[in-house]
Amino acid sequence: MGLRSFVSMGALALALTAGSAARVSAWSLEEAAKPYAGTTVDVVFLLRPGYEAAEQMIPEFTEKTGININITKLPYENALGEQVRDFVAGGDLDIALIDLVWIGNFAENGWIVPAETFTSNPDLADPDLDMEDFFPLVLNAFGGWGDTIYGLPFDNYSGLLFYNKCMLQDAGFDGPPQTWTDVMEVYGPALTKDGKYAYALQSKRNETQSADSFARFLWPFGGSFLDDTFHSNLMSPESQAGLKFRQDLMKYMPDGIVSYDHAEAVNALAQGDVAFITEWSAFYSTLKNPDTSQITDCLGIAPEPTGPAGRKPALGGFSLAVASQADEKEQAAAWLFIQWVTSKANAETYLRKGGVPARQSVYEKPGIAEEFDFVPALVESWQEGVPEFRPRFAEWPEITEIVQEWGTKMMLGEVTTEEGAQEIGDRMEAVLDKAGYYDGSKPLLQ
Amino acid sequence: MTSRVRRRTLLAFIGPSVLALALIGIGPLIFAIWTSLHFYNLTKLKQVHFTGLENYVTVLTDPIFWDAMGRTFLLLGIALPVQIALGLGTALLLHQPGLGFLKTLTRLALVLPMATTYAVVGLLGQVMFNVKYGVVNQLLGFLGFDQINWIGDPDNAFIAVVFWDVWQWTPFVALVLLAGLTTVPGEIEEAARLETKSWWKVLRYVQLPFLVPGLVAVLILRTADTLKLFDMVFTMTRGGPGNATEFISLLIQRVGFRAFDQGLASAQAIILLVITIVLSQIYIRVFYKEVR
Amino acid sequence: MAADARAIAPGQGGRLAVQALLLLLIVLFCVFPFYWMVTTSLKTQIIALQEPPAWIFHPTLSNYAEVLFDDGVGRTLINSLIIAICTTILAVGLGCPAAYALARFEFRGKKDLWFWFITNRMVSPIVLALPFFLIVRQIGLLDTHLVLILIYLTFNLPIVIWICTDQFRSIPYDLDEAALLEGASQWRIFRSICLPLAMPGVAVSAIFSFIFSWNELMYALVLTRKTAKTAPAMAVSFMEGYNLPYGKIMATSTLIVIPVLIFALIASRQLVRGLTMGAVK
Repeated sequence: MGLRSFVSMGALALALTAGSAARVSAWSLEEAAKPYAGTTVDVVFLLRPGYEAAEQMIPEFTEKTGININITKLPYENALGEQVRDFVAGGDLDIALIDLVWIGNFAENGWIVPAETFTSNPDLADPDLDMEDFFPLVLNAFGGWGDTIYGLPFDNYSGLLFYNKCMLQDAGFDGPPQTWTDVMEVYGPALTKDGKYAYALQSKRNETQSADSFARFLWPFGGSFLDDTFHSNLMSPESQAGLKFRQDLMKYMPDGIVSYDHAEAVNALAQGDVAFITEWSAFYSTLKNPDTSQITDCLGIAPEPTGPAGRKPALGGFSLAVASQADEKEQAAAWLFIQWVTSKANAETYLRKGGVPARQSVYEKPGIAEEFDFVPALVESWQEGVPEFRPRFAEWPEITEIVQEWGTKMMLGEVTTEEGAQEIGDRMEAVLDKAGYYDGSKPLLQ
Repeated sequence: MTSRVRRRTLLAFIGPSVLALALIGIGPLIFAIWTSLHFYNLTKLKQVHFTGLENYVTVLTDPIFWDAMGRTFLLLGIALPVQIALGLGTALLLHQPGLGFLKTLTRLALVLPMATTYAVVGLLGQVMFNVKYGVVNQLLGFLGFDQINWIGDPDNAFIAVVFWDVWQWTPFVALVLLAGLTTVPGEIEEAARLETKSWWKVLRYVQLPFLVPGLVAVLILRTADTLKLFDMVFTMTRGGPGNATEFISLLIQRVGFRAFDQGLASAQAIILLVITIVLSQIYIRVFYKEVR
Repeated sequence: MAADARAIAPGQGGRLAVQALLLLLIVLFCVFPFYWMVTTSLKTQIIALQEPPAWIFHPTLSNYAEVLFDDGVGRTLINSLIIAICTTILAVGLGCPAAYALARFEFRGKKDLWFWFITNRMVSPIVLALPFFLIVRQIGLLDTHLVLILIYLTFNLPIVIWICTDQFRSIPYDLDEAALLEGASQWRIFRSICLPLAMPGVAVSAIFSFIFSWNELMYALVLTRKTAKTAPAMAVSFMEGYNLPYGKIMATSTLIVIPVLIFALIASRQLVRGLTMGAVK
């Protein structure tokens, strides 16, 4: 070939590459959403800061895509029941809001669509989706079941240690407790006096007892709900050690702690009645707001104390997945929304409006860690957690009721930790047996 | 006095009501009975199967069920006599002559508790009985008593529930009994008062027969309502601490709405219905005998 | 009332004072929690959670403003009003004739029919909520006013029938007899003679029907979403559990109680006369 033809071939090749490259990076939300303009997507939201943040972002989404998001707001306690009833009766919801403990339930009943259906569709998949950018623990725990990812993490929490710097300083401490042993032996006695208490552990008889109170003292001590064969592990020395530790720690907690829910525990810290609490990261805004907190300047944040088995902070959060009962258009529109609201590009907006995204990249941006002082503790907490902090299978609703009942009874002293653990263990195993985990009809997934 | 009428007339008067109740109420009731005979869990609908009376056996042999029933009847046994005593006292007071303005004020005040939404009463209970910022403890402090942990203590939480039940329903009892008192013919009452100074004797021999129907109505309605008591307790204690205030409706809600075991919950509800019907029949047989 | 016409004998001053005191105590007992509810609705969150509780404070109407304008409680109040009024009218309209029949007509199974009406009130709504939901969803009536109006009949109709049956029974038969001799139909007698005389009972059953529908929660939570959401359901939805906005909840509750109070105020005279519940045979 002559030089001329070579050059023209090269030019042609270049033109072709440029052309196709232009086509590849031409995926845009507006383009992808064109066929779905005018569709309405129905979803359930909770009455929490993250959801309000999303709500504020929605007008921008609707403007770009013409897709309407129809929100029904519910308290957490009703959210599961409403969605279950809706899915069972073939209702309107197009997006499923999934608490991490509901994912087994939803997935096994076939109510949600695996994310792959959409990520493998070039018309709908955003090339910038970057699943790897999500904290792996969070993506897996909130949106994954078995080996399949269904939802993207949306409303994300970790348990954090919120403490009153001033109270600690007055008692002679220059930092928060690092381990639970410190709490029991050093901080507890020093801070529990004159009508004040060192620690408040929210333990009310609802999901709070299971997630916040019971599970929190199992994992860091090496215990767990179930062993490898899915039988109860609550009688193991580690689990018992943790539960007994919790009983013992009650002497540094206010009276009637068993009736404390999140509001009471957060309030106890906010009013200066206790020195520290281990609560969900979302309460940061309540504690920083002078309208609701008296300790705004004294607020310190750290990861939860470690136990003998390491740091296993409380893990909780919600993902958004596409509901299988939606028709094709609604499913596509739903996916576009889910993808958009949890995207890397929108993470900072979401964070600034009061949400807590699960994107690693946003927390690495300069200045973010200083502006939002819960970030360092949060990022650290999300490195080490366990997805099965609470088993997420379909039997959890039944089992959590058992844990709530006997967990509170233990704390009230009506049964010993051994008796309570035995009761929970027996009943839990009965449930799992009936569900078919022991005869092999069900895979051991949690 | 009653008369025989043409069937058509009878149907015209009664028919619409019967039809309305039957159409609206029968379907769900049948569904409840049907699910009570099956394993029916909303999150496991693929596994629905007929189980006969197994749910009923499970319920009747479950100590938790009987605990909840026991607690509910304990509540009834404590709250109802208090409501009747206080209600009767109020009715007698309102039946006395004089003090017209105060009596009208009282009658109006009596409507307030009944008109308050039950769920809100529970939340009000949380606010007022809170161990730290609750006004009840503050008042106790004024009177020189110690602070009491209401909602965090099993026994005190129960007492708090009794308190609110009494607060909310004594007015109802009072008004019903007052109405009964107004049906006592004036001459008989006056004659009795001339014969004896003891208000107790007047009550026992003259007024009581006229109060009996109202009392029976109160008994039946309060029994049925206490067995259905849910909203107020739920918002105040959620059934806790531990099990202390888990009454039967809270148990049913836990089983049906949280664990989604509709079959079991239906069995519990049907058993509850049977108990209520039996009790009502007993009330009627025992008390109405005196009047008829 | 004959009793009231009794003269107050001299020397009864002391007794009257005791009576007055007792009545005042009763009023206080009934009103105090309500008073606390209203004052809490005028407090900001920080003041509401103050320890010890504040009796004197700087009141604010911000809770009411927020609740009515931002959260749409006004809409839910209107929904509640529509539903309560309609179901009461329906209950009274259906129940009065039925009560009249039970009081005046003789037929087989009368007692059992009466009892069947009453038992409708005894089934736990918790268990019926799901089947109602499934059925209502099938016929597409979810989140409509109509569905609650109809379902509330199941516990309003029994009350209306109970109260009115006894009220009708207490009306003397002579008037009926006279009219019958003149060839009037049962319907005529019912409408022109007995119904007016039974007004106290009808009014009371209307009040109770209104109150119970107004405050009903379980069915409202399960069967309504946005369009037909009732005020109690709205009040409860504030109780997220994370951050209980006491002020807003109490403000909503106060708003909920007021219409009922007005209704009861108007009919308070009737309230007592109508509750005879079968005292006169």
